[in-house]
Amino acid sequence: MLHSQSVQLLCLTASSGVPLFSRGSAKPLPFSIIGSLNGVHMFGMGHDASLSCCETDRGGRVLWRVFHDSLMLIGASSNAEVSELHLRRLLENAWNCMVLVLGLDELANVRNVERLKRELRSCYRLIDMLLERGVDDLDCDGDQGLMGDLTHCTDCILLPQPDLLQETLESFTRAAESEFGCLLVRGRLAVATEKWWRLAPQELILLSAIANLPPGKTSCDYPVFLPQGSPNVALRLMCFQLLPGAIACVLCGPKPSLHQVENEQVCCFWSPVVDNLRSSLDQVERSPLYPSITFNRDVLCLLLINRDSRKSVASLGPTCSKSPPPLSPARRWEILRLFYTFAVTRYFTSEETPNSWCPPSDPLHEEFSSGFTHLPVHCYLLTDECKCYAVQTPQHQLFLLTDLSVPTFALRSVATHTLDVITTATGF
Amino acid sequence: MAYREFGARFEKNSACTLSEKDEEDEAAETSDGSETHSSSSKDSEYSDELEPEWLDDVQKNGELFYLELSEGEEEAVLSQVTAAQSAATNHVRFSEKEAEIIPDKSSKKRADSNTKSHPKFKKLAKILGRKRRPSSRSRADGKNGRASQQPASILKNQTGQRMGLVVQQPYLKDVCVYINPKRLGNMSPPSQEEGGLLEALLGVVLRTRNGLSCNGERLVIHGLVPHSPASKCAQILIGDILVAVDDVEVTSENIERVLSCISGPTQVHLTLETGIASTVMDSEVPRSRPTAPVSQLVRLLWGEDTTELQMSVAHVPHIAMYLSLKLDSESAQVEQEILYQYPVSEAAAQLKGIRGIFLTLCDMLENVTGGQIVSSSLLLRKHLVHVGYWKEGENLLVIGLPADRVPLLHLQAVLKGLVRTLRVMYGSLQSAFCEVENAPRLDHLFCLFFQRLIQPSRLTDNPVSSSLNISGTLFLDDLPAMRWLTLPPDIKVEVDTVLSDFESSDFGDMSEDFYGMRRLYVILGSCLFYKGYLIANHLPKEDLLDVCLYCKHYCLLCLGAEQRVGQLVVWREVFLQRRSQPEFSTTTHPGYCESNGRVFLLIVGLRHYMQCVLLQAGGCASLALGSPGPDCIYVDQVKATLLQLESLESAIEERLSAPPTPCLSCADWFLPSSGRDRQDVISSSPILNRLTAAIKPPSPSTIGRNLFREAGSGPKGRKPSPQRSLSDSGSEQGDIGLRMPSAGTRRDSLGSGGSDGSGSSGGLFKIPKLKQPNPFYLGSLKKSLTEKEAEEMQNTMKLTAGLENTLFHYILMETVQGIFITPTHRELSHLSGSIHPQLIRNFHHCCLSIRQAFQQTLPPRQDSRGADRPHISRGLGPVKEHGILFQCKPENWTDQKKPAPTMTYWVIGRMVQEPVPQEFYVCFHDSIPEVPVEMAFRLSFGLAV
Repeated sequence: MLHSQSVQLLCLTASSGVPLFSRGSAKPLPFSIIGSLNGVHMFGMGHDASLSCCETDRGGRVLWRVFHDSLMLIGASSNAEVSELHLRRLLENAWNCMVLVLGLDELANVRNVERLKRELRSCYRLIDMLLERGVDDLDCDGDQGLMGDLTHCTDCILLPQPDLLQETLESFTRAAESEFGCLLVRGRLAVATEKWWRLAPQELILLSAIANLPPGKTSCDYPVFLPQGSPNVALRLMCFQLLPGAIACVLCGPKPSLHQVENEQVCCFWSPVVDNLRSSLDQVERSPLYPSITFNRDVLCLLLINRDSRKSVASLGPTCSKSPPPLSPARRWEILRLFYTFAVTRYFTSEETPNSWCPPSDPLHEEFSSGFTHLPVHCYLLTDECKCYAVQTPQHQLFLLTDLSVPTFALRSVATHTLDVITTATGF
Repeated sequence: MAYREFGARFEKNSACTLSEKDEEDEAAETSDGSETHSSSSKDSEYSDELEPEWLDDVQKNGELFYLELSEGEEEAVLSQVTAAQSAATNHVRFSEKEAEIIPDKSSKKRADSNTKSHPKFKKLAKILGRKRRPSSRSRADGKNGRASQQPASILKNQTGQRMGLVVQQPYLKDVCVYINPKRLGNMSPPSQEEGGLLEALLGVVLRTRNGLSCNGERLVIHGLVPHSPASKCAQILIGDILVAVDDVEVTSENIERVLSCISGPTQVHLTLETGIASTVMDSEVPRSRPTAPVSQLVRLLWGEDTTELQMSVAHVPHIAMYLSLKLDSESAQVEQEILYQYPVSEAAAQLKGIRGIFLTLCDMLENVTGGQIVSSSLLLRKHLVHVGYWKEGENLLVIGLPADRVPLLHLQAVLKGLVRTLRVMYGSLQSAFCEVENAPRLDHLFCLFFQRLIQPSRLTDNPVSSSLNISGTLFLDDLPAMRWLTLPPDIKVEVDTVLSDFESSDFGDMSEDFYGMRRLYVILGSCLFYKGYLIANHLPKEDLLDVCLYCKHYCLLCLGAEQRVGQLVVWREVFLQRRSQPEFSTTTHPGYCESNGRVFLLIVGLRHYMQCVLLQAGGCASLALGSPGPDCIYVDQVKATLLQLESLESAIEERLSAPPTPCLSCADWFLPSSGRDRQDVISSSPILNRLTAAIKPPSPSTIGRNLFREAGSGPKGRKPSPQRSLSDSGSEQGDIGLRMPSAGTRRDSLGSGGSDGSGSSGGLFKIPKLKQPNPFYLGSLKKSLTEKEAEEMQNTMKLTAGLENTLFHYILMETVQGIFITPTHRELSHLSGSIHPQLIRNFHHCCLSIRQAFQQTLPPRQDSRGADRPHISRGLGPVKEHGILFQCKPENWTDQKKPAPTMTYWVIGRMVQEPVPQEFYVCFHDSIPEVPVEMAFRLSFGLAV
């Protein structure tokens, strides 16, 4: 049995059921159970019934997905807070990770199982990071408030004066003979070239994750396949640490070597803007929204999603004067994730992008919101700890938590006002 | 049989053979003129002498499910006239025997019965003989001759033969019509000049009116009498020639004689020669009403041929299986692990084929994630199917349902309801599924269960309830509560008194005390339904839920709501869930312990009333041995109670037709439709309201009520109780004048939104705002006040309330009492429109989610599965309130220039624990300021329970 609270990810070959890897839980599941988990699904496939998920009375879940008819991913969770949406996203992200590292061709046509097993080891770190996100312990400060893995929207920060950094990035990218470049500040996208934004959101999330991965290195060079953009042709992702927490990334072809770019261009382009970088790092410490934006003091935290460009910004509210603060930041992020899941699985659209492996005609999960005859635009929840409010407009989705002291009837105006303030001030 | 042992004492002639039965019948028949005012106890004695008609349907294990439609309904089934029309016919037969108690029998009828009594009783005997055959399910009593001659009941679905016409020769057609000679009533035999029996019975007017005598002319149809059987069947055309009646060739010479031979209500076969080519009159011509959907549910309940219904859902994957988790390698039987399975369709076979998945998952998941599996989803031939699991002991109940009918969020509630019903009926799942003789009964139950979930619209005929779509039925059916109808206090008291009288078991000389023997049963309590609404409950909440789950699963509530039940008698042993719970013995008061006898459920329905009684054997009553069948005395006492309550029907009807309190608005009023009133987009709702009100025809209930009253006062004389006569003479008669005008004006206010009733057109532009009592005002508490005070209060409120009435819909559930209040079907039907039904559907769908959020986040409690759920994770924490704002736009917005107007409304659910646990679900327009909303919540929206 799984350790309570843990999530485990299993990967097997779909046709033969050979286990490829198992990540997550400290104590892996015994082989017999992995075998039967795979077995029930395979048996169903033989009878024209594909098992999608199941749930236990304590909130445990198992989810099955077959990708490209070649690999099967099984997610098993004994944690009641891991929702079906979360688990589904986890499997999708894990698959994307594998494609990112190994390429689609390698995965879709498994020739040598043993070799694949060895090769898959290189994505363990990425997958492990995804598994830890949003599950239980949020020890690592840097990851707090990163919700891209769940929302499939790129986590961003909004800088007050992005122009200088934007220009620097663009010339830097050009110098690296590329059109795809971005600047990450604490794992969040600060500025990016236009082409970078055209990548699929799932790719952006993973690229940010990769770039953010190695602590302590100043530069790195990974071969990556883009799951949507170029699943079979590898590109190079070059990352340069400019300051601790600030990373510049470039996607490029075979040409400029890492050494060349690092020695010649990084200093030349980025050293004049070090002060800007510092100030933006400081800003993120406080809030990914810039300080001139003032909104209600009772807002505990918020998540704003731009539905068109698939970017999101998440922030804790203004530091509360009350002592002790009503809710710890970790708990706030936790509730925000839960509330996002709640609202999106029931009322709002979850920004499902058509996937290459799953044609939209086969819904493996039920959309509760499709049963509504009218369009849900707002929703709220009152719990013992806080009040949650969500707004959906054609362009945005806003999820925010407020203190219990806010009267319920004022929630709506707080939320719409917050949305107005942010969007008008930043054009997000 | 218990009935025999006990009833024999009252029977003067216990050896009642078939031949003697005729005489008894005759005696009953002839005496009924004088028996009209017989007391109800007399009635029951009277039916003691004659065996009750349900007696033959009592099964070996004592269970009984007997359903008989009232004559009006039978006619509807027979001749497929609309239910509304048939309900308007005045004679109602409560049972086969009591049918003869129609007070004003004509002298002609008397003469008739003298001359024709013999053949008639032959027929009756035949019917009784037919019923004596062992039948697994009850069937409509074949009152008419045809039914008794043809064992294949005409009630069975024989669409083509029954209603349609069978083309025999190019220009001959067969038409079946239902005629009832009794309806001629006290008219003298129709003379030839008036058109004779042909016109009186069939409603056919002949061309040669004068020369009809005896020249053997062909019968050319010259006209049809409106509302007559001939015109209702819509297949007899002017110009047709009547050739034969029941295959007897007729001419003007013998037609009167042939028709006069028809003594009772029956279906006759008319052969007509038509001038129109028969291809035009094909029986496949689509009719506005397909084969009497009224009867679908009834036929299902009768357990008649349901292949058609099952075929229509065969493609939808659904299954119920009871599987054994034990591996028995000894016996090599195929599919030995399947203890029970339903249905046997192709899609179900596919689900059955993958039962290995269910068994494995159930066994394995405990080892993977901990906890019992409750649900899984799978994609079966492009259909997403949710499977619910319920493990009991070594066995597993698996229910598969399509995702588009039952959302995953709600699957658990459905399954819990089903399991509880099975436990109530059989004690445990084990005993339900593992006994072979239960299989056909379970088939029946699951057939109803799946029909109800998959195509509820096929079962109902009520336009309002069918507009309440799947989520509506889903949500309301699985609330742990019953739909309650608030009654005016005086009526409520009366209903309660009548019920208490019954529950005291003081049956006068019918009582057991009288004979010095131990009584058979103790009455634990009873509850009373009127048209599917609970109007009185004398049962503890859990027992009420047990009883109601049974009623819901057998659709008895919608049955009573939609058609007049001639007679419904259900008897079975039940296992109350309250008693099986472990805390039952510990939580009772010190020094008091409830006796643990066997409990039986008796349900008796008459017309729109239905009473459910829990009877206990053992304790101070005598022990029940074996499987006793229903006891006549108790059935008759319930019937008597219901008959006594019949006098209150008019008052309850009045309550039903009264305008809703709190007042409701129709969503369409807030949204100008695209077609008309485009110029009114800005001025919007108030004016539109007026317009719709002006267009709306006045409801006929005011007139109907008067008639009803008179009709209802007939049986009042049966057994005048002190309370009744008091209220009759005093309050009720007195305030009928007072109540009517007030009801009138208020109804108007429902439609128009203005309370100034009569002058709705006059005030059209004077009052720009809707001046309607606002539900968000404390004033709507007025229901608890007397009528007059309320009236005054309303008047004053008209002045103060400047707000539009913006409440669309609500549900208030009293968790402790196990009841909920929601607008009645009739109130809903007043609020017709295109958006409003959508809104209600949306509301119910939303409620599913809201309630699930409440349930999911409830602090951990002893789970019904007996396992204490360890609540490690905090999740969102307990949710107290949850609201969703919806936006709707009119469909087919054609105006390109202007953007479509939108209307936004809230659906809010709130769970209150203090002072009494309650759940509210309300739906109101966005425009309400915050303070009234808060206020309204505090005051429970003025819904006095």
